[in-house]
Amino acid sequence: MLTLLDQLDKGTLWRSPGGIHPPEVKFLSNTTPISQLPLAQEYLVPVPQVGENCTLAVKVGDKVLKGTPLTQGTSIWHLPVHAPTSGTVVAIEPRASNHASALPVNTCVIAADGEDRWCELTPGSIELSNHEIIAKIHGAGIAGMGGAAFPSHIKLNPVSEIELVIINGVECEPYISADDRLMREYSQDILAGIGIIHRLLAPKRIVIAIEDNKPEAIKAMQQAVSHSTLPTGSTRVTVIPTKYPSGGEKQLIQIITGREVPSGSIPAKLGIVVHNVGTAFAIHQAVTQGKPLIERVVTVTGQNVGKPGNYWLPIGTPVEHVLKHTEFHAEADQKVIIGGPMMGHALPTIQVPILKGTNCILVPSSQEIGTTPEEKACIRCGECANACPALLLPQQLFWHAKAEEYDKAASYNLKDCIECGCCSYVCPSDIPLVEYYRIAKSALKQAADEKHQAERAKLRFEARIQRLEEEKLAREAKAKEAAARRQATMTSTDKNAVAEAMARIAAKKAAAAETTADNTPVEVVAADASSTEAPKGKAAVAAAIARAKAKKAAAAAQGADEAESSQQAVSSVQTASSEPSEPTEQSESLSQKDKVAAAIARAKAKKAALKADSDANGDTDIATDNTDKPATETTANAEVDDKKAKVAAAVARAKAKKAAAQQAESSEVTEVLPEHTADAKPESTNDSDDESGNKSSLDAEPSASLSPEDEKKAKVAAAVARAKAKKAAAQQAESSEVTEVLPEHTADAKPELNDESGNKSDSATDLNAPLSPEDEKKAKVAAAVARAKAKKAAAQQVESTEVAEVQPELVADAKPESTNVSGNELSSATEPSASLSPEDEKKAKVAAAVARAKAKKAAREANANSDANE
Amino acid sequence: MAFKIASSPHVTRNMHTSTVMQRVILCLLPGLVVQCAFFGWGTLIQVLLAIIVALSCEAAVMKLRNRSIKASLSDNSAMLTAILIGVAIPPLAPWWMIVMGTVFAIVIVKHLYGGLGHNLFNPAMAAYVLLLVSFPVQMTSWIAPSTVALNTPSVIDSLQLIFNVGAHGGMDQFRLGIDGISMATPLDTLKTDLSLGLTTTESLAKSIFDGGTGVGWFWVNLAYLAGGLVLLKLKAIRWHISTGVLVGLFVASSIGFLLSPDMQASPLFHLFSGATMLAAFFIATDPVTAATSPRGRLIFGALIGVLVYIIRTQGGYPDAFAFAVLLANLCAPFIDYYVRPRTYGHSAG
Repeated sequence: MLTLLDQLDKGTLWRSPGGIHPPEVKFLSNTTPISQLPLAQEYLVPVPQVGENCTLAVKVGDKVLKGTPLTQGTSIWHLPVHAPTSGTVVAIEPRASNHASALPVNTCVIAADGEDRWCELTPGSIELSNHEIIAKIHGAGIAGMGGAAFPSHIKLNPVSEIELVIINGVECEPYISADDRLMREYSQDILAGIGIIHRLLAPKRIVIAIEDNKPEAIKAMQQAVSHSTLPTGSTRVTVIPTKYPSGGEKQLIQIITGREVPSGSIPAKLGIVVHNVGTAFAIHQAVTQGKPLIERVVTVTGQNVGKPGNYWLPIGTPVEHVLKHTEFHAEADQKVIIGGPMMGHALPTIQVPILKGTNCILVPSSQEIGTTPEEKACIRCGECANACPALLLPQQLFWHAKAEEYDKAASYNLKDCIECGCCSYVCPSDIPLVEYYRIAKSALKQAADEKHQAERAKLRFEARIQRLEEEKLAREAKAKEAAARRQATMTSTDKNAVAEAMARIAAKKAAAAETTADNTPVEVVAADASSTEAPKGKAAVAAAIARAKAKKAAAAAQGADEAESSQQAVSSVQTASSEPSEPTEQSESLSQKDKVAAAIARAKAKKAALKADSDANGDTDIATDNTDKPATETTANAEVDDKKAKVAAAVARAKAKKAAAQQAESSEVTEVLPEHTADAKPESTNDSDDESGNKSSLDAEPSASLSPEDEKKAKVAAAVARAKAKKAAAQQAESSEVTEVLPEHTADAKPELNDESGNKSDSATDLNAPLSPEDEKKAKVAAAVARAKAKKAAAQQVESTEVAEVQPELVADAKPESTNVSGNELSSATEPSASLSPEDEKKAKVAAAVARAKAKKAAREANANSDANE
Repeated sequence: MAFKIASSPHVTRNMHTSTVMQRVILCLLPGLVVQCAFFGWGTLIQVLLAIIVALSCEAAVMKLRNRSIKASLSDNSAMLTAILIGVAIPPLAPWWMIVMGTVFAIVIVKHLYGGLGHNLFNPAMAAYVLLLVSFPVQMTSWIAPSTVALNTPSVIDSLQLIFNVGAHGGMDQFRLGIDGISMATPLDTLKTDLSLGLTTTESLAKSIFDGGTGVGWFWVNLAYLAGGLVLLKLKAIRWHISTGVLVGLFVASSIGFLLSPDMQASPLFHLFSGATMLAAFFIATDPVTAATSPRGRLIFGALIGVLVYIIRTQGGYPDAFAFAVLLANLCAPFIDYYVRPRTYGHSAG
């Protein structure tokens, strides 16, 4: 039994199945020596050509010399490209690719300067280490010259032991004679390259395989082998019978060794490496002369080219330039084929470059290669199966591919198809079988990719779910821990503070409840309070103090920054809320004191009002205008009343105006500077809370002084007030609904309004409280005025809220508070009216009607405004 | 300028379906000529009639299917089917039989299954079986070979007989055994004799066998064999099916002959009588209805050969190729499924 090496030495050949014998037509191009073409004006070098992970080494405008690297990279898969001639980089942009699709790829366009000057080359010497040689080959950008353009340095640095190197000089494709001419003319150089390969891989044998249709090349190579310095017997030329596709790597291995490359594997698994003769030549050039791979032999052939032959063409030469200088004449439906007629691809455009793997440009006449005949029905003749070198069943593949049953096609080993085209060639029905397989392959690839992506997406999704779950658990654990820590570190005082805060919140709630539903409690309170008049005074004092504090707090809030002020406000609330309850319990102070307190309160109110006035700017004018009118009216009504009443009314009005102005202002400001205003409010909310608390207590007092007979009237008035309150509430509700939709930001804006109205209303009530029965009329007037103002304020609020709607976030805040405000206002308004005498009722009603009318007008206006805004 | 885009390969072999069919038809001619020489003009008339009907049917169906009539007629497949029916049918069978058979072959067996390349059964054989089952008397009444017949019908006689006009009164006067011009085929005779208790030797002594495989039939088979060999040479067909048929038949008949030489005809008799060579090279090799892989085709052919022997010796009909081919057609997809070549780079099995 002969070993494989013996068989190799004997030149034993094995049979490769299938295959065809198409017309060779090599005579067109193989008779003339390899020649040169004139320089092109422009060279198109796609970057990166093979391999990824590189960066550009040049930029537009750079001068480059022949051989200058255009890319640099660190990856082993990066294959550098070099300037094919000296010149200038004029563009780096997507250009049509040398592919059947002509899809644009990034291309470095070099305008030749005509000098064709080399950059400095560093010739290698025999002393180089293997590693250095491979680095040199890598740096020269050498790719497989047979067509697939696989980076050579990877094949020259295999992980496994290599026993056999096959140098592929088969060139089985019809028409092509590039390797043939190269072997004839440069056999010594090829042998030198083979020597380098021998040194790098140290194989037991090197077989140079050449088809028997190239006798000159065989002779030349045999001579070169006999003269070479390679160990005797290690290298031989093996002549193989001409048959397409014997030059395919797998087929050649089968012919030379009788072994098959396992499906999905590489020849190195068998200890075999196959290199093209062109590659061996390029390796020699790169290692011994330092020349990068910037030109190659290309066969230009076909009946439609005037000067067929082989040419040294720089990589990047436009096909158009080549055809122009080889006397190409196009005919209708001209095909320009890159590669041979069996596996080459037709170009849609010839403004594409020669690549490292381009071995042929074929421009056939229509007599040579006619139009593709129409596909006919498969008659299952089985010729394709006879021709298939991969022993596939092309016919079954075709049926399944045509029916798009790609999984079934895959089960017939579609992936082992090498697309050699033998099946299509022999098909009597002119079925483009290879095209079907390509479509099926890409469909399978796409399906596989999609599956892969889906799997990855699923993994990602699951990982995310898990992460979220973990985060949630971590958060919970952290919160628990924090709570535990707080509990542990919390001092008794802290606990008290918390308790106090809780109490305060409860108190506020209670106060709010009172204010909103105060009409019913009024009677009860009134009944209780009627027993003594004294508490009234004290209450007033307390109220005044509370008010003062509230104002102070408000002032502080205006000046101070948010956090502090809010704290202050909180504290003030605390005090305010606690205070009202105190006075009611103590009942000692005198009515005199009451008056004094009232006066003080009024004074403070004025002061506050002045401040507010000064604060108010031009924007508030309208608001003030509105408020002015009721004020004048009230003054007219109050003619008969005493000075005090007038003063009180005026004060009330002023406050109301101010409040309104401030409201307007604040709401406007809010709109403009959302955040800023937002901060300002929290405090005011507190304030208003106090106020309403104060107010309600105050309210209770005046009504307490009513006589039983007046109760009826008071009830009526109360009913009226309630109705109004409901209406107002409805309006508010409307606005508040809007608020609900709009988030948190706005919430801050309104508190101010609340305050203001709260302030205003209290002040009004305060004034009323100390009045004598005779003053009731005035009080009524004042009440009416107050109501009117309240309505206006409400209208304004509505307006502002509507404006706010336009600017959602800001506004949303505005309403909740306004609800409070109007509630406060109404309650305050109702109380004064409760104290009216029957005779005055009419007047009061009139006044109230007037006020309502105005309020409505204001509301309409406000609506109109808001509509306009919207 | 824009250039023409096409998928590789850009060249094809100049061998198209129509060429293949044309070559098969041409290679049929020697056999046809010899058949006419022995059995008169009837065969030629039947063939021409079948061709006319087949082409008409093909054209009509393509018109109905909105396909190109010209492309379909020019592929020569319908003509081939017609010729095969024509040479298979008794030369003087009435005209309506061949018309019926051809219409059935083209319209039902071929086009109702999807047309060329899609039919499950061999159209000629399906038509033959239809006629054989429906009209067994007419289908088994072969004209006597000219060398043993007392009088041979002229062209006019044949036409009159086939179209059933004139004063001949149909087939009756020719159906007179050795005295007339019509008689059972050698296979039929042998079958009958064997069933009558005669030995093979006794039966073969009859004049119709002429000491061999039957007068005329031997030469007819020889002519078809020659045509088949030319086909192989032209690579219009591959050797697998034909070899399979002949080897299968030879092996099966050899075993039978060795077991009981008295009751069994010799392998040579089986190979050179009846439609053996015609079927082996021209009928079983119809690619559409055969298995597709080379190994599958060998199996397919051998299956036909064995089936022919079994039916010839055990069945009720004298010749068996039509049945054997149809049965093998049924098995073709099954064979294709299980017989696949080992793809390059894959381990066996």
